[in-house]
Amino acid sequence: MTRLVTAIIKPFKLDDVKAALEGLGVQGMTVSEVSGFGRQKGHTEVYRGAEYRVDMVPKVRVEVLTDDHQALDIVESIVKAARTGKIGDGKVWVTSVDHMVRVRTGERDTDAL
Amino acid sequence: MARPGLVGVALRDALADAYDQWLTAALPERSGVALVAVGGLGRRELAPCSDLDLMLLHARGAQEVAAIADAIWYPVWDSRIGLDHSVRTTGQAVSVAAEDLKAMLGLLDLRHVAGDGGLSGELRERTLALWRSTAPKRIGELRELCQGRGQLAGEVGFALEPEIKQGRGGLRDWHALRALAMAQLVDVRDPVRRAGELLLDVRGELQRLNQGADDVLRLQDQQPVAAALGLAGDDGLLRAVNEAGRTISSALDRAWRQIPAEGRRRGRRRPWGGGGLGRQPAAQNVISQDGEIVLAMNADPRTDPVLPLRAARAAAARGEPLAPFTLDRLVSETAPMPEPWPEEARGEFLALLGTGASAVPVLEALDQAGVMSRLFPEWEHVRFAPQRNPVHRFTVERHLMETAAEAAALTAEVRRPDLLLTGALFHDIGKGLPGDHSVAGAELAGPIATRMGFPPDDVRRVVALVRHHLLLVDTATRRDLEDPRTIGIVADSLDGSGELLDELAALSRADAAATGPAAWSSWKARLLAELVARAKAVMTGGELPFEPTELAVSRDRLAAQRERRELAVARGVGDRLVVTAPDVPGLLSATSGVLALHSLEVRSATVVTQGGMAVNSFVATPRFGSYPQLATLRGDLVRALEGSLPLDERLSAKDAAYAGRLAFAGPPPRVLWFDDEATDAIIVEIRASDSFGLLHRLTGALEASKLDIRSAQISTLGRSVVDAFYVTSGDGEINDDLREATTRRLLLAAR
Repeated sequence: MTRLVTAIIKPFKLDDVKAALEGLGVQGMTVSEVSGFGRQKGHTEVYRGAEYRVDMVPKVRVEVLTDDHQALDIVESIVKAARTGKIGDGKVWVTSVDHMVRVRTGERDTDAL
Repeated sequence: MARPGLVGVALRDALADAYDQWLTAALPERSGVALVAVGGLGRRELAPCSDLDLMLLHARGAQEVAAIADAIWYPVWDSRIGLDHSVRTTGQAVSVAAEDLKAMLGLLDLRHVAGDGGLSGELRERTLALWRSTAPKRIGELRELCQGRGQLAGEVGFALEPEIKQGRGGLRDWHALRALAMAQLVDVRDPVRRAGELLLDVRGELQRLNQGADDVLRLQDQQPVAAALGLAGDDGLLRAVNEAGRTISSALDRAWRQIPAEGRRRGRRRPWGGGGLGRQPAAQNVISQDGEIVLAMNADPRTDPVLPLRAARAAAARGEPLAPFTLDRLVSETAPMPEPWPEEARGEFLALLGTGASAVPVLEALDQAGVMSRLFPEWEHVRFAPQRNPVHRFTVERHLMETAAEAAALTAEVRRPDLLLTGALFHDIGKGLPGDHSVAGAELAGPIATRMGFPPDDVRRVVALVRHHLLLVDTATRRDLEDPRTIGIVADSLDGSGELLDELAALSRADAAATGPAAWSSWKARLLAELVARAKAVMTGGELPFEPTELAVSRDRLAAQRERRELAVARGVGDRLVVTAPDVPGLLSATSGVLALHSLEVRSATVVTQGGMAVNSFVATPRFGSYPQLATLRGDLVRALEGSLPLDERLSAKDAAYAGRLAFAGPPPRVLWFDDEATDAIIVEIRASDSFGLLHRLTGALEASKLDIRSAQISTLGRSVVDAFYVTSGDGEINDDLREATTRRLLLAAR
């Protein structure tokens, strides 16, 4: 069963996360620049503006395809690498993948990992 | 939260104290830093699921502010309580407030929680001073803010499911009033204060009940909240909330009108005696001054009972409000209206109604001041009266005003607009009285119309309008329009009067428009138009011949299908669907079931059998998206008849999936029999709550009773459905035993 691990992290933590995943033997990932906010509405601890405003904060999204066995290890690894303990650290989650195909060779599902 | 006896002010105080204690512990005692609460916590008006609004104030150059902030914010975030936070110097806070009105309003609620009291005190003083000096210039902005918000969220004063915080007349409006009071621009009187407290109490229990921050008082919440607050039943609660909403919104409206006038009066002296700028005659003894309607100097309400109506009409015609002190004078000084009303009074009142939408706020003002109840004692019991069908948006008295306003646009379609408007304003006056509200209303309408000075023929017409205001819509949606008996009943009820028919048609449309968006549809409009056309034809002396429904399929085709025992599904014009099949028991219920499974909503059905083949014609519209593939429908139908498609299971699963949050427990289902409203058939009507596959189960029940269904009319209003079946029995009469058995089966099917 193929799984997709998605992580939203602080941009400056990308290198740490990459290194951690390489250590696990992960051979591929997709990285995109995104923006968003959570419960703190994008405000830092010392925010000075009007309370009710909601601000978008730049983040990075990392996506890794893996099989069932490795998924949780990957989650733990990302969490450890991306954590600063401050608000805005992000979230990691796992979803199931119904079908997957490698474009060049036509290999399917876990063969395509 | 877990102490149910703790409600109202006690609950709010307890919550505020608890939070204060917790937060104080997080901030060390030191100078130069203060933790300040704004918003709900600042006002000590928290609801159980409210967010906290906190500000960390610091003197310029205070050290370690970030670390102090962390020590306070992180525990709050981690405990999953919503937090709006900021860190500022006094100067920064004041400048944010100067630029941003919402921030300013929040800051007015400032309350010191922990740390350096001097710092909080300083901010408080500066904020108040800033507000007092700038408020008069920001009135326009505040008003826009309030009105925009109110428009989106509905009206607390008239809605059946009011949005207590954001709605017009709700908590935010109350805060606006208090902000104005802080700037010393208005007084907040006790009734308004009590209204605000009530809304806070309700909000507290509502959030506790739903464990969430939703501020809409829904139908299903009203009973438990009323019980928690010790109010008499859910009607008592809704009435109290509606009253509170009206109190607050009318106080705010007065404020908007008084304040600019204040500003101007402080400036120039206004010359007394007409002709000055902004002062124009509006009607006899009525003047429009500065955009408000006031009485002329020599006006005397004690000798001129028509004066209130004349002023009201002028107000509606000009789209200007009645000045508050004028309204007060009219209420306290006007002589009672002679009975019957003089013609001028009637004329002014009808002209008022005829102005349409702009009459509604004027009627509301008259209603709140008690003028409506004075003129029409019968009005009193529909004030604040709730509606039980959630399709309605408004309480009864507001609905009546809205209907009259809608009818004003239709006056060109009737010969007697005055009767239409009168009928519209009183059509639901019988609501809340025992029995059928049309009948009760008709009994009240007679004396009302007589008192208004209408001649006896007109009075009879108004009574007929009220008595039959539901006739056309009910008949159009629940009866077979092809059956001449249907048209005959309508024509008889109206005594063959084409004028009355026109007026009722207009009234039906106005009523639906004033009820809510779910009450009308193009389908209903078409049916109504067809009924009116047929009724007119009959009334002007024609007779409509009864023809059996034209076979939707040609005879040859039918014969060929019969040979092959074939089942066919074909599309007709528009939303028509025709199913031709060998006539076997269970065909109609199976077909209804399959249609429901494919999310098709059946509006009507006719069944014709010929030589062992049944031709079932449906008018069915897709609930979502487009029409399903006919081949799929056919396949499913074949399997359903064979027994290999678990129809009942699939339908219950579908119903459960779409049930949604509103598990509205409607009234229990009812079955009614009508023996002489159809030609050669009996009508059995089932009134129930809608669910997927209802039609399938009802037709199944009728088939189990071995009744033949000739046609079915389905009418929906929100979640309530009325299904009317034209049935015959193969053996002739439908005796009482069979009726009883059938009724039982139907009630079971309608669960």
